[in-house]
Amino acid sequence: MTDATLVMSKVLVLDDASEHFTQIKQFCEDCCLQGIKPNLGSQGGVMAILRSNVDLGGILLYENYGGQAMGLTLAHAIHAARPELPIFLRRDTEASLAGLASTDANALCAAYTMSDLESFKAVLESSIFSRVYPTDLVRGITEMTLSSLQTLFKTCTAKVEAPYLVKDQIIYGEVFSMITIESNWCRGYMMLQTEEEGMLNLLRHGAAADAEPLTFRDLNSVLGEATNLVWGSFKNRYVGYRDDMTGLTQTQVPIIINHQRRYISFGSVDPQLCLKYSLIPLDDPQAVPVSVFQRFVFNLSWSPDQFSENPSVEALVDSGELEMF
Amino acid sequence: MAQILVVDDSSTVRNEVCDFLKANGLTVTAAVDGKDGLDKLRADPAIKLVVSDVNMPNMDGLTMAEKIRGELRNTTVNIIMLTTENSPSMKERGKAAGIKGWIVKPFSGAAVIATFKKLAV
Repeated sequence: MTDATLVMSKVLVLDDASEHFTQIKQFCEDCCLQGIKPNLGSQGGVMAILRSNVDLGGILLYENYGGQAMGLTLAHAIHAARPELPIFLRRDTEASLAGLASTDANALCAAYTMSDLESFKAVLESSIFSRVYPTDLVRGITEMTLSSLQTLFKTCTAKVEAPYLVKDQIIYGEVFSMITIESNWCRGYMMLQTEEEGMLNLLRHGAAADAEPLTFRDLNSVLGEATNLVWGSFKNRYVGYRDDMTGLTQTQVPIIINHQRRYISFGSVDPQLCLKYSLIPLDDPQAVPVSVFQRFVFNLSWSPDQFSENPSVEALVDSGELEMF
Repeated sequence: MAQILVVDDSSTVRNEVCDFLKANGLTVTAAVDGKDGLDKLRADPAIKLVVSDVNMPNMDGLTMAEKIRGELRNTTVNIIMLTTENSPSMKERGKAAGIKGWIVKPFSGAAVIATFKKLAV
């Protein structure tokens, strides 16, 4: 599960049937799901977890979680708070939503039973994993982002966790950048998200002793430049220079941001590719890592079958070198 | 009176490049976009080298280079692009505007300082 390009997805597992724990755990591993179980089974506890987990792909919920039919009550609360997250209901005998009131069924994505997990795999493929991100693309994004972060944070080590797919639409931290990515095989956005204080402390840590005091504007600039470097690398590597861009549709959709709910919508419910990077000061390896979340949202166009690496990328001049004309 | 004009909308890059050039004994001034770059160049004819980003708000670096040669009729100042862009079509446009060279970010001062010094005198 530490494969740098194996795309996983985090799911909240709300299932208190201890007799199925091992089987569910194994199923999650087999399906590239990273299960998160709450310590508290109460609705308040679950909602607290939902608030603190900003990178979920879905929820596995037992119909009788917390008591007879209590799972359905919880499903309503979750659906009201996070309607973008697919809820998969485990039932004792019926692997469908048949027999449920329509108001209950509307809050759910699908149902499954422990005796028919193979069918449930197919459901996951068509929901959480409905979008396939080419391995070479994921690897390339990871390489170029690590390189960009390392360039800007010279006094830190940059690490990346395994990539995963998310369906939530929650903004992480306090500051984020967003830039459009356009080619003849993808159109959408890349975002970098982080928290101000931790990142500013990192910048202060690496600044010269006589440097002027750093403010949030300095953080904005660094995050902007990190975004710019990744964007440039992405273009140079994956957007063919000879691509005919003239035929591209100019379709756009409004992007909705609700600050109070830390919510952002691109008008698409397709799973987003998410990568979590950690920055750790070289001279203080025990320090709390500063996280940078990177998300790719190809909401306007996505044709991975046409994805290719720029064939001339090997022949290009190395970064930092001067090409004289 | 400066030898080099650094044009970049990112204060991170601007400061990094300016600090590096100053530490190497060059006199430097900075601009935040192409429009500002034109104004700075117009105000300081002693500038010998412009190091500019391409993608900037208000006026991009290539348009600025074209205006330096056209509107300002300045055919002597050396121009180098420091950018994440690496497309042949952009480079061709830069060549047509008489720019001298192209550096793909990130900036590596040690690799270019000798050339910068030569172009800045």
